[in-house]
Amino acid sequence: MPEQLQPARPVEEAPEFGPVVIRVAAEVLETMFFEEALPSACEHAWLAQAVSAQLSFEGSHCGEFLLSVPPGTARSIAAGFLGVDPEEMSETQPGEVILELANILCGALMSTLWPESNLSLGTPELVSAEHSFPAAMHCCFSLPEGMVAVSIALGSRDAA
Amino acid sequence: MAFSVLIVDDSAVMRGFIRRVLTLSGFEVGECLEASNGEEALARLEGHSVDVILTDINMPKMNGEELLRRLETDERLRSVPTVVISTDATKARILKMLSLGADGYMTKPFSPEALREELERVLGARNA
Repeated sequence: MPEQLQPARPVEEAPEFGPVVIRVAAEVLETMFFEEALPSACEHAWLAQAVSAQLSFEGSHCGEFLLSVPPGTARSIAAGFLGVDPEEMSETQPGEVILELANILCGALMSTLWPESNLSLGTPELVSAEHSFPAAMHCCFSLPEGMVAVSIALGSRDAA
Repeated sequence: MAFSVLIVDDSAVMRGFIRRVLTLSGFEVGECLEASNGEEALARLEGHSVDVILTDINMPKMNGEELLRRLETDERLRSVPTVVISTDATKARILKMLSLGADGYMTKPFSPEALREELERVLGARNA
């Protein structure tokens, strides 16, 4: 998390976060990635090996968005998005597709959580860190091939 | 009738996805050109004419806003329909891109059917 961000606000600020993430993720994944997302209990043992994409957002809200998936799930999502067999993909394509998924999912979540907001999204980047946002809004859901974890940490740049 | 398309996006996988959903949607695609930013798009258009341009907004070197401005000032290119494809669903952004000359605006996620409908709408409007 960038230094200028203040600690994230409590999860209670968006009590509908989990259901909203599931609904928006299901729409994004089914429409553009041809995957079915289902609610799931949080389970984080896999996060140490996850493919993670992070991007910042700023405007009427500011903070960080983090998406993590296991490597095998990343390949499966990428194959669905590109319409190819997982074996046909290059080594970098799964990561590139996860960056796109993070970008699309973050944009869709922002406009659902805060429809009147005026936000600008940063460029997503692959990160190797485990989920580490303190007190972030967080949700896990599952795809047929594995888990997906989504976190949002809200902060205030002007309060720094 | 097959339409020639220019896809402008800095993500190679997104360009591949758009190319794929154009086919999946049943939209008749002839020549399909690609560019990774506005500057490259203008270079592609120097040697080719296309029926429609699909462009992202946030790109390095020349973004989608500047690309629309440049298209509007070009006698030959200002009549080519342009559809913006973006994650940004804010009203302010949509209105800005339309005011710069975009004929349509698609927010991600979008289905193949929605893309086809939008393309048919803008092509129909320009040819009406």
